Amino acid sequence: MMEDKAEHLTDRLALDLDDGFTELVRLHAGPVHAYLYRISGSRADADDLGQDTFLRAYSALQGYSPERRRELRLRAWLMTIATNVWRNHVRSNTRRPVSVMNVEDTCDTWAEDGPGPEERAANSEDRRQLVAALSELSEKQRISVVLRHVVGMSYAEVAEVQGCPVGTAKAQVSRAMGELRQLLEPGTLKGVTM
Amino acid sequence: MNQEIDDAVPEPADGWTGGLADLAAPAPPDFALGILRRVGIPAERYDTYVRVTCPAGPLLVAYGGAAVTGAALAGAGLTAETFEELYQDRTGRSVLPTEKLLPGLRTALRTGRARKLPVEFPGTEPADRAVLEAVRAIPAGQLRPLSWLAREAGRADATPDSLVGSLTRNPVQVLVPCHRVTYDDGAPCDASYLPSTGDALRTAEGLDMRHFKNVARSGTVFLGSDTTHIYCHPTCAHARRITPRHQVPFRTATEARRAGYRACKSCRPVTA
Repeated sequence: MMEDKAEHLTDRLALDLDDGFTELVRLHAGPVHAYLYRISGSRADADDLGQDTFLRAYSALQGYSPERRRELRLRAWLMTIATNVWRNHVRSNTRRPVSVMNVEDTCDTWAEDGPGPEERAANSEDRRQLVAALSELSEKQRISVVLRHVVGMSYAEVAEVQGCPVGTAKAQVSRAMGELRQLLEPGTLKGVTM
Repeated sequence: MNQEIDDAVPEPADGWTGGLADLAAPAPPDFALGILRRVGIPAERYDTYVRVTCPAGPLLVAYGGAAVTGAALAGAGLTAETFEELYQDRTGRSVLPTEKLLPGLRTALRTGRARKLPVEFPGTEPADRAVLEAVRAIPAGQLRPLSWLAREAGRADATPDSLVGSLTRNPVQVLVPCHRVTYDDGAPCDASYLPSTGDALRTAEGLDMRHFKNVARSGTVFLGSDTTHIYCHPTCAHARRITPRHQVPFRTATEARRAGYRACKSCRPVTA
């Protein structure tokens, strides 16, 4: 079903760019935003970089032939652009990309199915720890882990974004998860977060 | 294709993901829309929807231009994602979340008077549309039976089932007030709602269904006034003003006519 939808979307992009792009934004704006939020650690950055990502995607699509648009694996393609946009942003900003102190993890979400206030209160500490641990990972590892487990991409897609073989991507995620787990051991993060 | 390599490195044995999936926070409501604006996609290429609250819970309302083009209650397991997809299937258009309310929408929901709110039915069959337009004419706090609906929709020959079918396909829930339609015996149809939803909407409009159930059980279909010699649907604003001692119940329009009563020109009972 997911595959069908993806194919349908590339068809629409090939036929009518504006129509297809609208649908592309509808389906992928959320995942791209979530991805950028979790690798940058800042909601405001995710807002700006997300816009840039799609702006770039649109200009690229304008230059593509319908055949080429039809061939795109959109999610991996978009996440690759997002990754580049973020890397450029980090480079031009020279300052450290993520500092735990300004990690916002407000729960001002719009989701109707989110946990209730009580559950949130119980979860928020765990979440904060997890976000802090994530920011301790190397850039490459963080990207892999977020793509795989936050966005929910396949290893093949992760590999495409990272420009590496699937096995490497898988190893990266696996190692990163090991490190995350260590970081989340009680006591490990204390010096970092406070 | 990379299946072999893919399996070469195993997942952590216990499949521990540390709750990372929960970190997929939703984007701000206007994020996707902001992208389209910035890229310069013309606004007429897509529709938008807002999340509002009505007496039956959260309601997603889609609009394009200045007209409402869809509405669905989000309470009964309908997610924003499903709403977007159903909308796409029905209208062939993309719909994106926004926080900007359509002018007049909040007032319409608060008062239940949505008749002046422009509503369009893209992707709806003309026969269904006629029924839904007729439903829109039922005033807030009033009920109309299917036979009335058939006549108003110009589908006098339609069976109750086909009318109920049209109501079930109502793409603009709440704002096209299907909860104000009853069977000819006075029981609410609630074709496109759960009964509890219909009850919540009717209660919010001040309809005391227990009272009207008793009225219906006594066989009363119309209520006349012996001072004016006019008969109405019992929920008509005029009928509700008849003081108890002047109320004259009728079982049929014929009975009322024989007694020398004429039909109310506001609620237009079926006279046949």
